Amino acid sequence: MATKASASPSTYSPSTRRRKQERPNIKDPDWVRSDGRGFHQCRPAFLRTGAVNAAAGSAYAEFGNTKVIVSVFGPRESKKAMMYSDIGRLNCNISYTTFATSIRGQGSDHKEYSSMLHKALEGAIILESFPKTTVDVFALVLESGGSDLPVVISCASLALADAGIMMYDLVAAVSVSCLGTNLIIDPVLEEESYQDGSLMITFMPSRNEVTQMTITGEWSTQKIHEAMELCLDACSKLRTIMSSCLKEAAFASNE
Amino acid sequence: MGELMASYLSEPIEAPITAEEQKPRTSQGEKPPLPPSSEEKQEIELRGLGSDGRAWLGCSFEKFGERCEYEGKERMRRVELSLNQTQKLRLQRALQKLESLSSKANSDASVTVADNIPVNYDDGVLKGHGTSELDGQVVATLCGVVERVNKLVYVRSLRSRYKPDTGDIIVGRVVEVAQKRWKIDINANQDAVLMLSSMNMPDKIQRRRTAVDELNMRNIFEECDVICAEVRNLQHDGTIQLQARSEKYGKLDRGQLLTVPCYLVKRRKQHFHQLEQYGVTLVLGCNGFIWVGEHINVNAEDSMLEDQLNKPPENIDAKTNIFDEGDQTHTELETRQNICRIANAVRVLSTLGFTITIEVIVEILDLSKSLNLNIHDMLGAEFCVLVAEREAGRRSLSTKRKG
Repeated sequence: MATKASASPSTYSPSTRRRKQERPNIKDPDWVRSDGRGFHQCRPAFLRTGAVNAAAGSAYAEFGNTKVIVSVFGPRESKKAMMYSDIGRLNCNISYTTFATSIRGQGSDHKEYSSMLHKALEGAIILESFPKTTVDVFALVLESGGSDLPVVISCASLALADAGIMMYDLVAAVSVSCLGTNLIIDPVLEEESYQDGSLMITFMPSRNEVTQMTITGEWSTQKIHEAMELCLDACSKLRTIMSSCLKEAAFASNE
Repeated sequence: MGELMASYLSEPIEAPITAEEQKPRTSQGEKPPLPPSSEEKQEIELRGLGSDGRAWLGCSFEKFGERCEYEGKERMRRVELSLNQTQKLRLQRALQKLESLSSKANSDASVTVADNIPVNYDDGVLKGHGTSELDGQVVATLCGVVERVNKLVYVRSLRSRYKPDTGDIIVGRVVEVAQKRWKIDINANQDAVLMLSSMNMPDKIQRRRTAVDELNMRNIFEECDVICAEVRNLQHDGTIQLQARSEKYGKLDRGQLLTVPCYLVKRRKQHFHQLEQYGVTLVLGCNGFIWVGEHINVNAEDSMLEDQLNKPPENIDAKTNIFDEGDQTHTELETRQNICRIANAVRVLSTLGFTITIEVIVEILDLSKSLNLNIHDMLGAEFCVLVAEREAGRRSLSTKRKG
């Protein structure tokens, strides 16, 4: 990339030339994913509960370059929950740090993701167990490396379990990207940028129930079936990793 | 169509290994391929700080080309102090000794969400809190430990908010002054409610509460006041009602309020402790709020309450008035120091995760005084390790006496 010699060293002037994201030739049979994974291989998962001391429950998740920390507060009284209701309220908020993306951003709330997180979790939580009160879920994306929302959802359900909130089952979420004729699971940021469509499923494996399914782009029926099978299988495997994480946390803190 | 199977690159996170186990592992046959400069990575390092300053211990090495993380035992991670190497080892030894002495909790009893709970169905089973039914099987809805009492099976959560019971003595902070009641924050799901009728009137007469009483509620308790009361009952919708009709309940002032995890304070016969020799009152609230304050004689308290009621118009005046009456509300230096010492003793116990009882607090207080420690040194790493070692020694001695 040609450097601008005219700019003085103390000021920063963004490049006016937009770097075109070159879509690699995915029809090429030799095309391999940038991190060397197979098409149906997910990133290694690192999960840990109890990251935030001040919160009732918290969890930290690292899936490759995507790093997320979720803290759960509650059940507690909320000024918004003044009206009597015999079920609890769930309040979700996802925000990105300013350093989460490769270009420094604003670091604002992501309202769309927040409502999607809400929909994914509310099917799994037993809201009748905390009437008149509110559970707050705050997710902070420390680094966005692709497939952010599924990681946030899985991490949030771990944090809720850590906080001692009654749930039907842990929620595991995985997304699948469609690139031409190929289906790749757990896409990275650059793969997401040239995807043709995406499908995300949040799944409760023990109950065999899907709490949320999100499809964008162009899909044929057969592709949807394939992608769903992939996702459900990956979710089950992710669920075992999540429960082993909880088990070791519980085992270690047993006196 | 071939089977579409997703796979995860690395194995799921394995069981945690302690500092000692870390070293022998590398000498075993099944050694993962390690990069050449792995020697320094093998040591347990104080890795970074959590978002709240908590120390994370861990080490990392390569396995199958991917980074895996192994972290030390959870309990070490919870200690929020910067310990040097010897202190870490001493603390670990003391904690391990305590664990071996305590009745070993059956690790099979711990469950996570949606785990199957093994139940003998022939006897019939009562599904308690934290359980639900799925396909005729009892599954857990919480992460915790399974408790069985005859036919009742329930899951007790390890980390949850305070769950009040009738008759618990609690310490709380007034959040709101509402119609004929005060809303108190007691670290439970909801704020507790203290009705005006459940509170003694300053003039001690048992009478109906009038509209004038309602208007004067603020003279009794205001926002941010710390009070102690007793749980009167729980309503069906979860509302917690308090009562403070006795002399020992009421507003607490001239002291410190401490917050500890609520499971560290067990229900006992006595929650009020007057430490005469130090001039300190200690209230161990079941909700994890602990009050350490100056010991005031009950008679003097009454007269002071009345003085407070008569004073309001004067308080609005210039602040210098308050300083003039400073002699009345002056706490002696030694009492204040004792209050700080006891508060720090409670903080050390909370950091270490030991049950908080009056005996242990007094022991730690004596220990700190005998060592002539500065009050702020009590929060340091060295004293923390000392307390842990002492507790381990004390328990091993008591088990030897029993056995």
